[in-house]
Amino acid sequence: MQNIYQPYLAGIIDIRQETPDIKTFKLKFRDKEIEGSFNYRPGQFVEFSVFGEGEAPFCIASSPTRKGSIECSVKRMGKVSQALHELDVGDTVGIRGPYGNGFPVEDLKAKNLLFVAGGIGLAPLRSLINYCLDNRDDFKAVTIVNGARTSRDLVYKSEYREWEKAGDTKLHLTVDCREEDWTCMVGVVPRILEQLKPACRDSSAIVCGPPVMIRYTMPVLLKLGFCAPSIITTLEMKMKCGLGKCGRCSIGNLYVCKDGPVFSLEQLRAFQYEC
Amino acid sequence: MPSEKFFVKEDLYNKLEELSKEFEIIGPRELPNKGIFYQSLKNTRDLYLGEGFAIEPIKRFFLKPSEWIFDERFRENKNILEGIPLPADKRIIISVRPCETRGLTLLDKVFDSDYKDNFYINNRKRTIIIGLACNKPAKNCFCTSMGGSPIESRGMDVLIFDMDRGLIAEILTDRGRELFASIGEGLNEGQRRLLKEDKEKKKDLVEKKLSPPEGKELDKIFESDYWEDVSRPCIGCGICTYLCPTCHCFDLVDERRKRLRCYDSCSFPDFTLEASGVNPRPTKKERYRQRVFHKFDYFKKNFGENLCVGCGRCIRHCPVKIDIADIVDKVPGLKKE
Amino acid sequence: MIDRIKKKAEELLRTKQVDLIIGYKRAPDGVSVAPVFIDKAEETKELIWDTYCVYNLSNYLKDFRGRKIGIIAKACDARSIIVLLQENQLKRKDIFIIGVECSGIVDEKKLLSISPQTSELGFDERCRSCKPSKPPIYDVLIVQEGQRPQAPRLEKDPYGSVRKSEAKSISEKFKLWQEEFSRCIRCYACRQICPLCYCPRCVADQTQPSWLSRAHSFRGNFTWNVTRAMHLAGRCIDCGECERACPVGIPLRDINKKIEKDVKELFNYEAGLSAEQKALLSCFDKNDPEDFIR
Repeated sequence: MQNIYQPYLAGIIDIRQETPDIKTFKLKFRDKEIEGSFNYRPGQFVEFSVFGEGEAPFCIASSPTRKGSIECSVKRMGKVSQALHELDVGDTVGIRGPYGNGFPVEDLKAKNLLFVAGGIGLAPLRSLINYCLDNRDDFKAVTIVNGARTSRDLVYKSEYREWEKAGDTKLHLTVDCREEDWTCMVGVVPRILEQLKPACRDSSAIVCGPPVMIRYTMPVLLKLGFCAPSIITTLEMKMKCGLGKCGRCSIGNLYVCKDGPVFSLEQLRAFQYEC
Repeated sequence: MPSEKFFVKEDLYNKLEELSKEFEIIGPRELPNKGIFYQSLKNTRDLYLGEGFAIEPIKRFFLKPSEWIFDERFRENKNILEGIPLPADKRIIISVRPCETRGLTLLDKVFDSDYKDNFYINNRKRTIIIGLACNKPAKNCFCTSMGGSPIESRGMDVLIFDMDRGLIAEILTDRGRELFASIGEGLNEGQRRLLKEDKEKKKDLVEKKLSPPEGKELDKIFESDYWEDVSRPCIGCGICTYLCPTCHCFDLVDERRKRLRCYDSCSFPDFTLEASGVNPRPTKKERYRQRVFHKFDYFKKNFGENLCVGCGRCIRHCPVKIDIADIVDKVPGLKKE
Repeated sequence: MIDRIKKKAEELLRTKQVDLIIGYKRAPDGVSVAPVFIDKAEETKELIWDTYCVYNLSNYLKDFRGRKIGIIAKACDARSIIVLLQENQLKRKDIFIIGVECSGIVDEKKLLSISPQTSELGFDERCRSCKPSKPPIYDVLIVQEGQRPQAPRLEKDPYGSVRKSEAKSISEKFKLWQEEFSRCIRCYACRQICPLCYCPRCVADQTQPSWLSRAHSFRGNFTWNVTRAMHLAGRCIDCGECERACPVGIPLRDINKKIEKDVKELFNYEAGLSAEQKALLSCFDKNDPEDFIR
C-alpha cells in the first residue's frame, strides 16, 4: 500500500521573481513516469515540501494544457514559503497531489467568464485562464479584472500581452492608488467592477483574492445580477494533509482540502461561511 | 455465530505467557499513584483486569502520538526519499474496554476510506483485540447514549466477561477462535444462563444519559452565545482531544530531514493559525464549538455516526470539569421532553 | 462564609464596581466544582465555597484584560495575582480581590482511592506546605467561621522531599525522571492551567526555529518539562495546578519545589508574598553572589 503522505521528488527548473515577495517556481518531476501520470484540473493544489522545513499547500498556477512541468507561485509568508524563497534552480523539493476539487470546468463551458483577481489570488485563476485560452472555442467571452495594491505587486505581467491578444478576451488591470506612469485603471477591485458593469447573462464569475477583496466583491456581483451558484471562489485555509484527515481546514462538515478549495457562493452560504 | 469459552484467570495468564513468544502482549497496568496505562507487558501477570479505566485509550497503538512518515536523504549527489518500514510484528491488546474498540471502528472510517492511511491500516491488521466487558462503569461514562454499551463487542476479536467464578470469553472472529482454541472449555447450561443474565444486567449499568441532537439541530445554533458561555472555563489544553478514543486530528512537521506525524488539537490556537496571521478560529468559542460540531454534527453528516463513544475520558480528565455530555444535552432550543 | 461571598459579589456587580465575577460553582456531577463567570447580580447565588474549590482562578484574568474583574482568591491564588501585578500583566485597579481564608483543599484523585471508612480527609499535598492561610493581598477578606478541619502542615521543613531526592545519585534521578517524562503526552495542560504561563507565543509553539522536538520521545518531553519549570524559576508560587491538571500523574511540583528551594537559598526570595516586593528576575542587587552583574 502506498504511503499517502510521501511526496514525489521534483526539481526546480526555473524561478521567476513576480513581485518583491512573490516567486513562481517551475518544477519537473524527477521520475518520468510520475510526470506522465500527474494529471490535474485548474484550481487543484499540491502539498509542497521543503525538506527539513515542512510542507505547505500551494495552488497549481500552470494549466494542465501545458505539459512537461507545473508551476506554483509562492508569496514569502511562513516557514515553508520563506525556505522556498531561498531555493535555487536545480534544488529538489517534494510534491504531493494534486488535491482538491478544482474548478467545475465542464459547467463553465459555453459561458461568458468573468475572472476577478486580487494580488496573488490570480495564481489559481491563471491556471483556468490559460486552460480556457488553450481551449478557446469551448468558452464565450473572457473578461479578466486583475488588481493589486501597487503596479509592483501585479503577478504574471509577462503574460498580459498574450491574454489581451487572445480572441474575445479583455484584460482590465487596476491598482489601489494612483501612480506615476500608470495608464490602466485606479481603484480597488469591487469599485472597478461597479464601473465596468460586466454582463451577467450566461456568465460565471470566478473570484480569488485577499479575504477583504472577496468580501466586498460578492455584493457587487450580486447587484450586477450574478446569481449565487454562478459565483465561484477558491478558499484558503491552513491545511496539512490535503486528504481530509488532519482536521484543521473544516468549514461545516466539509474539508477545504478535499471538498474544496473551489466553492460557489451558494455553497458557502449554506454553511454560514462569512465572506 | 460466536462461541463461548469458560476459564479462570490463571489459565488466561498462562495462555498469554505462551502467546508472548509469538505476539507482543499489550495490556493495561496499574502504576501506583499514577493511574492505569496500556503497556507492553513483560510479565503477563501485571495485566490489570479490574474495573478502572486506562487514562489513554488504545488509540495510541494505531494512530501513534507521533511517528516518522519518511526520511529524506542526500546520497551520491542525489536527494532520495526513504519510506519508513512498517512494523510487521503481531500484537495482542487485551483487557480493552468496549468504548475504546468502538472508537477504532470510527477511526476506520477516517483512515481506512478514500485515501487509505497505510500506517494506521497496518497497525489494525497486525493487532488482535481482546476486550473486557465493564462490570462497573465510571460516573462519567455515557456509552449507551452513544450507541455503545458495557458489553459492546464491535471491533473486537474476543470479549471477556469477568464473572465471579471465572472468565467467560465470547469468541467473535476466526483470529480469536484460533487464539483461544486450546484454553478453557465450552459453556454448560448453567454458565450459559449466567452469561445471559450478566449481559442483561450490564446493559443497564450506565447511569449518565444524554440525548444527542438529531439531524441538523445543531446547525441552528452555530452562532449562539451559548458556545461562548460554555467555553469560558476551557483552558485550551490538549487533554480532551489527546485522550479521546476518536479524536484524530494531527500535524505534519519536519524534524531534521525526517517528517513526523503527531497529534494535534483543535483546542490549540495554532491549529488553524495561518502564515498570514489570520486565524479562522481565533477564540475559545470557535475552537470549542468546532470540537462539539465535529463530534455531533459534521462527522454524523459525513459518516452517519457521532464521533463520540461516551467513554467519559474528556470529562474525567478535564482540569476544569468541562462536561461535553452536559453541554450537548443542554444545547438551547432543542426539543426536550 | 459563602453567604458573605455571595453578598459581596452581588454588591460588586449591582453597584457596577466590576463587570464580571470569577468564582466557583457546583459541577454537573453534583460533587465537584467548576469555575464560573458571572456578570449578572442575580446569578451570584450560584457561587459556592468549599474544599473542592481547587482551581487557581487567577489563570482566567488574562482572558479579560482591560475589564473590571472581581475574583475569589485563596491564599495561593492571591500569591499568583501578586506575581502577575509585579510583572505588569494586570492593573491593580482592574481587579477586586475577594480574599477567602482557606484551610486546605482536597485532592480529588486521592479521594477516589481513599476508602470511605478512613478518617483521612484527602487534603491536597500542596496545602501541607502552604505558607499563609490568609491571602497576602485582597480588597475584602472573608474569614472562616468556627473550627474547620485543617490540612496538616509540614511546619518543620517544607523542602523535606526535595532534600530526599537531592540525596539520590544523578543516575538514579535520571532514571526516575526518564520514567516520569515517558508518560508525558504533551497536552500542555501544565502550561495552560498555570496563571503565570502567559507568553503570547510559548517557546514550545514556536516554529521559526522550533526549539523542541514534537516527537513523543524522551528528548522532547524532557526539554519541554524542564523548560516549563525553569521559566517559572523565582515566579512559581506552588499553587500546584500543573500537577493537578497533569492527566498522566507526572509529579511536576517536585521540580517546581526544587527550583523554589534553590531560589530561596541563593537569593532569599519567595515569590508572591508581598505586593511591594520586586520580581526576582527583574531586579538588580549589588550584593548579588554572581560576579558578572557588578
